[in-house]
Amino acid sequence: MPARAFTAPGSDAPFTAASPAPAYAFYPTPQAMGDGIGAEAYRRALEHSNAAARPLSLYVHLPFCQQACYHCTRRPVTTSDTRLAEAYLSRLDREMVLTGRHLDARREIRSLQWGGGTPTFLTLDQMSDLIDRLDARFRLAGDRDREYLIEIDPREADVFTLRHLEALGFNRLSLEVLDLDPEVQRAINREQGRGLTEQLLDEADRLGFASVNLNLILGLPRQTRDGVVATLEQVIAMAPSRLSLFHYRHQPERFPRQRRIPPADLPAPQEVQAMLQAATERLAAAGYVHLGHDRFVRGDDRLARAVGAGRERHDLVGLGVMAVSRLETLHVRNPLRLEAYEAALDRGELPTAVGHRLSLDDRLRSAAIESLMCELCLDLAALGEAFGLDAEAHLAEPLARLARAEQQGLVVRQGPQWRVTPTGRPMIRQLAATFDAYPAAR
Amino acid sequence: MSDPATGRRRALLNETRCQTCSLSSLCLPLALEVQDMDQFDAIIRRRPPLKKGEALFRQGTPFTSVFAVRSGSLKQVTTEGSGEDQLTNFYLPSELVGLDGIDEERYPGTVVALETTTVCEIPFDRLDALSESLPELRGQLYRSMSKEMRDDRRMMRLLSRKTADQRLATFFTSLSDRFRRRGYSPYSFRLSMSRADIGNYLGLAVETVSRILSRFQSQALVAVSGREVNILDLEALIEVAEQEGCR
Repeated sequence: MPARAFTAPGSDAPFTAASPAPAYAFYPTPQAMGDGIGAEAYRRALEHSNAAARPLSLYVHLPFCQQACYHCTRRPVTTSDTRLAEAYLSRLDREMVLTGRHLDARREIRSLQWGGGTPTFLTLDQMSDLIDRLDARFRLAGDRDREYLIEIDPREADVFTLRHLEALGFNRLSLEVLDLDPEVQRAINREQGRGLTEQLLDEADRLGFASVNLNLILGLPRQTRDGVVATLEQVIAMAPSRLSLFHYRHQPERFPRQRRIPPADLPAPQEVQAMLQAATERLAAAGYVHLGHDRFVRGDDRLARAVGAGRERHDLVGLGVMAVSRLETLHVRNPLRLEAYEAALDRGELPTAVGHRLSLDDRLRSAAIESLMCELCLDLAALGEAFGLDAEAHLAEPLARLARAEQQGLVVRQGPQWRVTPTGRPMIRQLAATFDAYPAAR
Repeated sequence: MSDPATGRRRALLNETRCQTCSLSSLCLPLALEVQDMDQFDAIIRRRPPLKKGEALFRQGTPFTSVFAVRSGSLKQVTTEGSGEDQLTNFYLPSELVGLDGIDEERYPGTVVALETTTVCEIPFDRLDALSESLPELRGQLYRSMSKEMRDDRRMMRLLSRKTADQRLATFFTSLSDRFRRRGYSPYSFRLSMSRADIGNYLGLAVETVSRILSRFQSQALVAVSGREVNILDLEALIEVAEQEGCR
């Protein structure tokens, strides 16, 4: 289907896929976080979280990269000196001690993720060391069903790395492929042949990794609809169990490296919309199921059978510079700058920089967004029941905005239920944004 | 009582004859009658011991003989076009070195002693001729080749499907088995190869080998001190080796 421009009645702008919207992997988005919430609030929230004892997940941020990619929004520390990581690991360990002492030692870590930066920037021995430290400070689960995931830059890992990671207990990989078109790769300063990814996928399969996710990005410089389709054909031939389609957001004022990307190289919003449309169709034809958000899974993946089930609520403890922690009633983030992160720990303090306390309204909106994005459906009666309030009345203002989307044919309303139509599906992020109470993110 | 020096000389001399060699029951002449064994013995060339690091032969040199390891151990290193060395085999006493050179008439890899090592050289043309008149010898030769093929297949399975834990566990259990079959203790032996050699052979980084070794030790599967290995729980090790898939 060709991209269409939607026009809506009224003074407000219509819903178009061109209007930027966050991916809403969680709500509120980090931009809602502000000063005034620090280590003390986080400490209390950690202790408070023990009572509810939701499943506990750990995220460890490893910020180092050998090389800078122009599109990156993760503020990596670019270096080739692996000794730098030593000092960082000892800070991480201190943070683990400071965090772990507020958590009930019986709470098991069923989900662990190392992200970056480039986690495999660490030497094999440093990775062993980090796992040992985590194991000493937290109760890592020992069974096969735990989900231990590491992000992999295919240029910075080989079969020996994967064998080592498997020996450390990792059973999931997320490979940063982005786009296989050499011209796009050159435009973001990240040249990686397809063979690198294939070799890792094959080895992950031999080692019995439970799932391998490939990350692609839409909207990169010099990207075209045909180029994306060509990338997808190659990726589908590799048959990864999971795929994520992220969206590039050009914000050179926030991410100085993006200044290396000439705006003229960026595809027009309609073109990006066409890419998404084509990609979604190709993936569906190849048997991939859309899980909501930006995630797709192969039809035989365990998750494909759980579509619509939503995600299990869990407490996330983030460790490292930039890391975000999300507890039931509090989101916090560590400093964005390495020096600030390290300085706080050197003073013996938790490095919490900013935070946001979740109100009932936040949690209600979060549940609405989650439901819309994962189930493509919002049941206000069920939502109200879950929260013990009148959801319709509470969400009157965002629902009024959603009603405009109904006039555009993006959603249909049946009693208390709102359903996203096939036309609305590519604009799911924009639809979710109607529930975002923080204008900066909208 | 005879003079001890004479006795030692005689022992050395005897040791170098198949009939009195402690490995004859595992080696090529295992099925031979006493008089046939003498014929076999006659074609063997005894050689001075190889020193540690000394090459028995180099990759690509013309194939002339097979060698039976009498004591010590060796490794086979194959250099691929890319210039990277791949450790393709370890040889222990009574095992035959060089069988893989017959068809191309060149040795496909360099074989290097891992410690002071003695081998019996068996010129292949004479072995070939002799095995025509001694069917038991020919049979044993076939069995040796068949076993080598089987071991290679096992190694291929290991390299293509197994995790690092499984690889190292398999390495230990198969070494244990090889020592047991030679009448040595299956529980206590010395590794003549370095950890880097083991990693190269198993397709693992040396860091991974060290990591798993220390885990096996903390799980009381093995005790390793330098190159001395004590297998504490062979059954558990076999279980690890045969596990399916990722943990």
